[in-house]
Amino acid sequence: MKKHILFFPSIFFILILLIFFYLLTIDRDPSKVPSALLNKNFPKFETESLLKEKKFVASKEFKDRIILVNFFASWCNPCRIEHDFIKRFSNNKKIKVIGINYKDNPKKANEWLKKLGNPYSNIALDKNGRIAIDWGVYGIPETFVVNSDGIIKYRHVGPINKKIYKKINKIINEN
Amino acid sequence: MTSYLGNFLLWLSLFFAISQFFISRKSNEQNKKFISISVYGLLISSVSSFFLLMYAYVVSDFSLVNVFQNSHTTKPLLYKISGVWGNHEGSMLLWILVLTIFNYFIFNLNNKNNYFFISKCLETQALITIGFILFTALTSNPFERTIFNQQDGLGFNPILQDPALAIHPPLLYVGYVGFSAAFSIGVAALKLSEDKKIPWHLYMKPFVMAAWSFLSIGIALGSIWAYYELGWGGWWFWDPVENASFMPWLLGTALLHSLIMVEKRMLLQNWVLLLSILAFLLSIIGTFLVRSGILTSVHTFALDPARGIYILVFAAILGSYSLYLFGTKSKKFVNSNYFAFFSKEGSILINNILMVVVCLTVFLGTIYPLLIEALTSNKISVGEPYYNSTAVPIILPAILIMGIGPILSWKKDDKLKTFKKILPVVVLSALTTIFIFLIYKSYSLIGIAGVFLGLWIIFNNIMILIKKLKNYSIGMVVAHLGIGLMILGITGSTVWQEEKIIKMKINDNIRVNKFNLVFNKISEVEGPNYVAIRGNFLVYDNKKNLITELNPENRFYPVTNNFTTEASIYTNLLGDLYSVLGEGNINSGWVLRIYYNPLVVWIWIGAFTIFLGGVVSLRNNLTKLKSLY
Repeated sequence: MKKHILFFPSIFFILILLIFFYLLTIDRDPSKVPSALLNKNFPKFETESLLKEKKFVASKEFKDRIILVNFFASWCNPCRIEHDFIKRFSNNKKIKVIGINYKDNPKKANEWLKKLGNPYSNIALDKNGRIAIDWGVYGIPETFVVNSDGIIKYRHVGPINKKIYKKINKIINEN
Repeated sequence: MTSYLGNFLLWLSLFFAISQFFISRKSNEQNKKFISISVYGLLISSVSSFFLLMYAYVVSDFSLVNVFQNSHTTKPLLYKISGVWGNHEGSMLLWILVLTIFNYFIFNLNNKNNYFFISKCLETQALITIGFILFTALTSNPFERTIFNQQDGLGFNPILQDPALAIHPPLLYVGYVGFSAAFSIGVAALKLSEDKKIPWHLYMKPFVMAAWSFLSIGIALGSIWAYYELGWGGWWFWDPVENASFMPWLLGTALLHSLIMVEKRMLLQNWVLLLSILAFLLSIIGTFLVRSGILTSVHTFALDPARGIYILVFAAILGSYSLYLFGTKSKKFVNSNYFAFFSKEGSILINNILMVVVCLTVFLGTIYPLLIEALTSNKISVGEPYYNSTAVPIILPAILIMGIGPILSWKKDDKLKTFKKILPVVVLSALTTIFIFLIYKSYSLIGIAGVFLGLWIIFNNIMILIKKLKNYSIGMVVAHLGIGLMILGITGSTVWQEEKIIKMKINDNIRVNKFNLVFNKISEVEGPNYVAIRGNFLVYDNKKNLITELNPENRFYPVTNNFTTEASIYTNLLGDLYSVLGEGNINSGWVLRIYYNPLVVWIWIGAFTIFLGGVVSLRNNLTKLKSLY
């Protein structure tokens, strides 16, 4: 037997590890599925508002400024985890934070916001999940960035963490 | 308090592991006392830290982040206990526990003659343990403290609350860690100088046997859980996590069989050493794939890229160390005892090659989406069709050979004589297959092949038992019988599965296979930590006798805000009636999914038989090992 054959396993092994290493270091998120809505106009809707007596009309709310749209519910634990980041966004004067309360009990949602603080300038009620379907939401929390022309620039599925927070801020500054 | 104590115990076990590593490097008799202190210290500190965490779960000590995130006061006790390893951090503690127990077993094997060898094993084992403890302490510490006082925990994912899943991870870890022992023994054997004649294969075999048996039953329990709990009607989904346990199992199977060759004829020693190294490296790579978040799967462990990098570096160290050693030192194990192709060795060799090829196929399927994404940034997914058209055709010849291999002689066998020996079995299997198909009148090529191969294995092994052929090993016969039963179950449930989805109102009925289901009523029920809507279906047979009632549920767990479906299954030896309740209301009716899964219970019976065979063999191997002392 030729001796160098015995080194094949190590070479093969190192190759595989290199591939894994490459995949770990590049900026990728396996749970991220590109949204079909990216770079398109946001889906319009009209519904009740959780905070105001007046009707929530999306085309009136989504104007002039960059909008951060956040789908949430009081029953959703990950929403609680990302809540601090949403609050931080609400301090940013460049943007307006709109909440969409997904399949929730308005009473509970109000209590939840009272307890944790309300970062949203307005909240649309999506009682039967119809708006979420139009936006292609498949699990909350989900967050979208809509620019001042009403074009969706970014979408994130799952709770916002530090990394995503920075990324969204970058996108906000670019637009 | 718990947090401080837990961290202390974790770092203490790291200290003992490091001291074991350095002391066992200098393997002279005087050091024996110190090694013994390290081994016992490591064992005691890791056992204590594990039970400390368990205690924290039982008393719901929410000062630990881990308990807070994964438990709740209303959770049943069994699931509080299994909650310890139902999450990433706690399961790492279980890994360490099993590692140190095996470490202790290896240490106990030492005597005057093999002291050098055993201390080399302990050195590698210590290296592995250090890696795991550091990983746990630095990236996945289960003893991290919560900053605020918490009244109650966030709860535990309800689909994990299942008895099969409660014991599934510990069994799997015994499997993985058993391979770590085989790895250490393999590395130690490579380090032996040529003048030292140590029968390393006798040391390795019980560990491989134990690892393989427990991995088999662990995988089976995971599959049972998926079948009963997920409500998807199937029992195997080629999910990356399932593959991560299946790949080491395949290499373990190859390793197990080639160890027999080493034992009987000192053949293929380098191959065995390589397999022992690869089986464990694959276990680690599997852990990497699952825990790094590089792949998405139904098993969602908390994801953190730092963990991925750590495991990768660890795998790189172990892998390059062991494989380099293999490259430089394994030449001395080459020997030239030749054998004919038509012989027991030949059959084992083919089995080995096929197992490795299946393993590579599964590996490719698992990482292919990653490769494509790295190269083209497109997202694809590889699923059942790939595996059915690649892995399955390779397994079929392996099963054919499996039937005949055990009755062949070593070195060389006579083809004509063998043919005469197996002729009755071939005829019997063929006749039975034809008979079955005449009754059921359901023809499918893959079905015919599956039934024939299953029977082929079963009849061959029964023949070995009856004729008392050669000095067969009873463990082997039992395990092979298990495989035969399993093949029948797999074939039945995949080829002849019937599925119906229908919207039903009260008093509606539907026919599935030979059963007639009547929707009797729907009601709300309250469980210990959930509320549910429960459908009640009466099942009648052809003669309109009531056979059973099915009560599928839709549960809601308020603590975690989870909805789960609870399938209701009527199991018997011929097939399962599997029902899942979907959405609906009184006016428009309820969606019901019903499957008829023929023979599915034989998969589990087969798996338990395999495990039993493994345990019997393990006992024989231990007896052989004891004869050295």
